[in-house]
Amino acid sequence: MDTARLKESFARVAMHGDEVALFFFSDLFLRYPESRDLFPVSMAAQRDYLLQALARIVALIGDADQLTAYLQALGRAHRKYGTVPDHYEPVGSSLIATLAHFSGDGWTPELAADWHAAYGLVAQVMTDAAAEDARTNPPFWEATVLSHEMRTFDTAVFRVVTLDTLSYLPGQSVAVECDLRPRIWRRYSIANAPRDDATLEFHVRVIEGGALSMALVRGLSPGSRLRLGPPAGSLTLDTGSGRDVLLVGSSTGLAPLKAIAGQIADLASPPRAHLFAGAQQAEALYDLPGLEKLGARSPWLTITPCVSADPGYQGERGMLPDVVARSGAWADHDAYLAGPTLMVKAMTARLTSLGVPAAQIHVEDFGWSEPCP
Amino acid sequence: MPVISGTDNRLTPDAVQAVTFPSARIGRRGLDEEHVRAFCGQVERELVRLFNERTSLTDEVQRLRRRVLGLSGDDGESGYRQDDAHVQAVRILSKAQQTADRYVADAQEYSRQLAQDARRRRDEILAEAKSHAALVLDDAHGEASRAAEVALAAPVGLPGTDRREVEAELAYLRTFSDIYRTHLRAYLDVLLRNVEEWERAEKTSLAAARASLPLPPHIPQPPPVTG
Repeated sequence: MDTARLKESFARVAMHGDEVALFFFSDLFLRYPESRDLFPVSMAAQRDYLLQALARIVALIGDADQLTAYLQALGRAHRKYGTVPDHYEPVGSSLIATLAHFSGDGWTPELAADWHAAYGLVAQVMTDAAAEDARTNPPFWEATVLSHEMRTFDTAVFRVVTLDTLSYLPGQSVAVECDLRPRIWRRYSIANAPRDDATLEFHVRVIEGGALSMALVRGLSPGSRLRLGPPAGSLTLDTGSGRDVLLVGSSTGLAPLKAIAGQIADLASPPRAHLFAGAQQAEALYDLPGLEKLGARSPWLTITPCVSADPGYQGERGMLPDVVARSGAWADHDAYLAGPTLMVKAMTARLTSLGVPAAQIHVEDFGWSEPCP
Repeated sequence: MPVISGTDNRLTPDAVQAVTFPSARIGRRGLDEEHVRAFCGQVERELVRLFNERTSLTDEVQRLRRRVLGLSGDDGESGYRQDDAHVQAVRILSKAQQTADRYVADAQEYSRQLAQDARRRRDEILAEAKSHAALVLDDAHGEASRAAEVALAAPVGLPGTDRREVEAELAYLRTFSDIYRTHLRAYLDVLLRNVEEWERAEKTSLAAARASLPLPPHIPQPPPVTG
């Protein structure tokens, strides 16, 4: 297999951008109409994912370890979409047809053979990882909503119970799908450490124009069914560091931090921890009673709610980075940050300038943006 | 990283999509990121369109060249036509998919705008209510303070300043609660009127909806069963 030739061939095809993915999916759906049901109505996001995954795979050719790890994760992640080994061959032939179409005159029998071989390897690694995963995990976890509570006009807190046990680390998130929006999966952090009764808590805020959040905030009620993907995410407690802990979350970024605080509570000798929960308006602090309860039974924990754009607020006022910076010295703390992109970026920059080493800063970027509170 | 073709460093749709702009430093004026993004999206779509026009032109040239050179025998020609038909079908399906994508994107954009407007309206109403509440309190406090002063200054033939202070406080509280009650009553009146209007509107629209429903079809009764 000539990897340089593969990379060059892909670069030429990728010049056509979105059209490549558009051709691929149309070709696939025409040859195998039943495959259409595995995808959502709008394919715009799917095409982006496909092109990103292809670019990533091609970029990693030559780095066997990283490529294998990426493909294994991809293979496992596809189980929840209903992907089975039989799907790989049709996808392969549509992919080759797409590459051939956009290569035009540059498509040679040698190139075709190279792509066939490369795809064969990719499919093998992905299906092997999926089969390995299937020995211990279901493709997704069926969950039933037990309670659902509107905390503010745009934020809901709900609790679910899963049929099979879902093992996860506090701070991790799962992809969520519900019947109201079939085949649209979005990640949400679990807001509690694992409990004996296998219930999970989620905090969801409506994203304006978002595909799923509105359904989860307004459309769920006790008894609603959800599907959850496998847990993922690296915002997890470093239990061996011996350092004290700084937790900073804004909006529903509070969720993974509450899970981590729950884990600390169960440690034999918990480190000292300081939790900052930020919002723009006082009324958007949607979980104050929950935080008070947590604070009351956790002498090792200090909780500071703060509000950035409400001059009448009686408590701590200001932007989160400013409030955190003036509230203590953090260089010897492990920091865990979660929330909207702008907030985690601003907070990371501030902590770095305050002398917190990068290795001690753990981040869960929720991916949506709003001004940093 | 933008994907750029190996030999010639040309701008590709991917590169346009992947470009990031550092945000302006706080206090500096910067461009509206949404506008910049929207423009990049437009540039990307235009590039894609040009690439595809070029591809289909190249295809066409190939096809014509083959025909001119007489390379396509009868068998080759029919095989080629079949391929051609498949590519046509792919193009048609792709167009349909893009239309569906646009509808979904438009609906999402519409819902985003609605939600944003609703949020803005809500914030305005809340801010107005808050400042109104502050005014009411100020008003009640002012009136009550004046009443208390009057009570303090009144040449009542009662002994001790304690008694006077109590009288003043009483006057303050009485006036404060009077004024507060008046405001509260006015506010409740407005609320009640709103609810009545709402009920009226609902009744009218329900009646209109019923009137527009088709009459229930006549259901024939089964003959009585005997024996």
